Amino acid sequence: MTSLTKMATFMDVNLVRYLCTCGKRLPPCRLYLCRHCLKLRCADCVQHEVDSPYCPNCLENMPASEAKLKKNRCSNCFDCPICGHTLMTRATSQMVPSSEDPSKSTPKKMYYMACSFCRWTTRDGGLADQSTSNGGWKDEENPEAKRINTLLESYRSIAQREKAEKERKKYVKRRSHAGFQDRYGLTSVAMKWKIQPAMSNLSVKETEKVPPAPELVSPVEDFDPLPSEIFSDIVQLDKVTYLSHRLNAPEFQPPATKDLRPVHKHLLVRRSLRCRECDHNLSKPDFNPLSIKFKIQLIALNHIPEIRIMAPATFSVNKETVVTFTLSNPSVYSTVVKLLPIEGDTDLDYMTAKVDLPKSDLVLALHDDTAVYDDGTKAQQEFKDDPRVVVFRRANKLGFAAKVTPFCKEGEVKVSFMMKHEFRNTAAAIQSEDKEPKLEWLEHRIFINLGRIQL
Amino acid sequence: MAAPNKSSVKIAPGAVVCDECELIGDITIGARTVIHPKARIIAEAGPVIIGEFNIIEELVHITNRFPDGAEGKKNSQVMVIGNNNVFEVGAQIESTKVGDHNVIESKAFVGPQVELTSGCIIGAACHVTTGEKLPENTVIYGAKCHRRIQRERPPAQNLQIDFLTKILPNYHYLKKVSKAQSPPK
Repeated sequence: MTSLTKMATFMDVNLVRYLCTCGKRLPPCRLYLCRHCLKLRCADCVQHEVDSPYCPNCLENMPASEAKLKKNRCSNCFDCPICGHTLMTRATSQMVPSSEDPSKSTPKKMYYMACSFCRWTTRDGGLADQSTSNGGWKDEENPEAKRINTLLESYRSIAQREKAEKERKKYVKRRSHAGFQDRYGLTSVAMKWKIQPAMSNLSVKETEKVPPAPELVSPVEDFDPLPSEIFSDIVQLDKVTYLSHRLNAPEFQPPATKDLRPVHKHLLVRRSLRCRECDHNLSKPDFNPLSIKFKIQLIALNHIPEIRIMAPATFSVNKETVVTFTLSNPSVYSTVVKLLPIEGDTDLDYMTAKVDLPKSDLVLALHDDTAVYDDGTKAQQEFKDDPRVVVFRRANKLGFAAKVTPFCKEGEVKVSFMMKHEFRNTAAAIQSEDKEPKLEWLEHRIFINLGRIQL
Repeated sequence: MAAPNKSSVKIAPGAVVCDECELIGDITIGARTVIHPKARIIAEAGPVIIGEFNIIEELVHITNRFPDGAEGKKNSQVMVIGNNNVFEVGAQIESTKVGDHNVIESKAFVGPQVELTSGCIIGAACHVTTGEKLPENTVIYGAKCHRRIQRERPPAQNLQIDFLTKILPNYHYLKKVSKAQSPPK
């Protein structure tokens, strides 16, 4: 059980949820705290920005424009066309007739690719081994490439023409306006306007030439009848590709497994998050995809006290049960936490029980990385705790008891309350050059799901 | 099952069988086969014959189980395992016919009704319990036990066998090789 509660942050993250500024209820590990607005943000209410696309296998990163040119795929890494696992390069030696004496053969290192999961190899796809270890694998040309290119070209020219037209419309508007002015004897100005449209007409004329419409594809009207073998031959399922295999290669959609080709690996995107209100970064990874570090990482778990359920309890209707919660302080300053009830709100969607919270302030000790090496005897003397409220105290963590009385007959026992806590705004301190970081009070609404009512 | 009868285990010269593995019943182990400690081979319903150049890793269970309706009948069936097979950690095999060059990956299960021909690969944690003879070079992989036929059979693990024969005796006691061609008493 202890290991379970210890792991609660990672395993049952959805039991304790905080209300994000956007109105979503999320576990603190999914939330960010903007240091400048001092508000909680979640992935749905921040701006996601693409830093750089990179290949998850070779970790090569490239600018977005280059990635677009490569169709957002890595040119060197491949996925298995059958199971999607990354393909590995394997070396073999082959006997090749030697260059000096054709009658003799010398061993030569040849490379092929194999999937370590489903054991597909490029040899299964009928591809010859390569003499270089890194790539050299030729991509087959898309059979529809010509058609796609003509379509692209004609649409591009249409887009260009529309753009030119839009610009011309701007002039037309102005011209009517100029005509208006003319009535008031401003002919010289009007003349100027009249010349300009004539000039712009010239430029428009060039693009006015209607681009040749893409050739229409004639619809298929009738098919050849199915060959009779299709009814008599036994289907060999192992030679036929699955739908997923075909959709993996949309340009070829091979129906036979022997025609499967390695699939270029999709690039992933390294992104940063930005607060929409103050435009400050909430999360910014190191530029290098090799690094797992962040330049800025304002995850809420690192800044606001975290509440967890210590151990499961059994509940019955209108019966008081004492539940122990733990509070831990991620901050390097000692933090005062106040727990406040929510009054006048009886929405049964998220409150199905009454909770008696500790009335007194809870003081959390500071988070100290070296605390794990202490035996934990010192810290306990510093605080004068009411033993009825504070069940235990260890380093930056304390356990407090709260009485929960469910008022629903069945279903889940859910409580909700406000948590008000001190927050030292280190970001503001840097700006104002103060020695002591500014003290702020932050308030969060907490939703806790305690389990089901015992029937 | 009766207590392990040591005399009924025949180990061909060149085989490396760690003493900490469990061999119960009438078992024959071919030359150059490597059996890791904590592997378990149980010849319950009849003899188990293992060929040459096999690797049987830790926690592998190879069981010649009584067929349905023949419980308690000794010597009702023989389990034959061919050559060059690899049984990875935690695999369970109850198939009575295993050919050559098969790979049974970790935690896979091969039921008694299945016949492995040769070059088959049973992927990690794949359970095969159907009553069928798997065609040669079948690969079963993934959580849904997808199947495909491979063009080439998996390569023989001779280098690994050489390495294990060298390294295992450094750290483990080995079972003694039985006298060549001695008739069982």
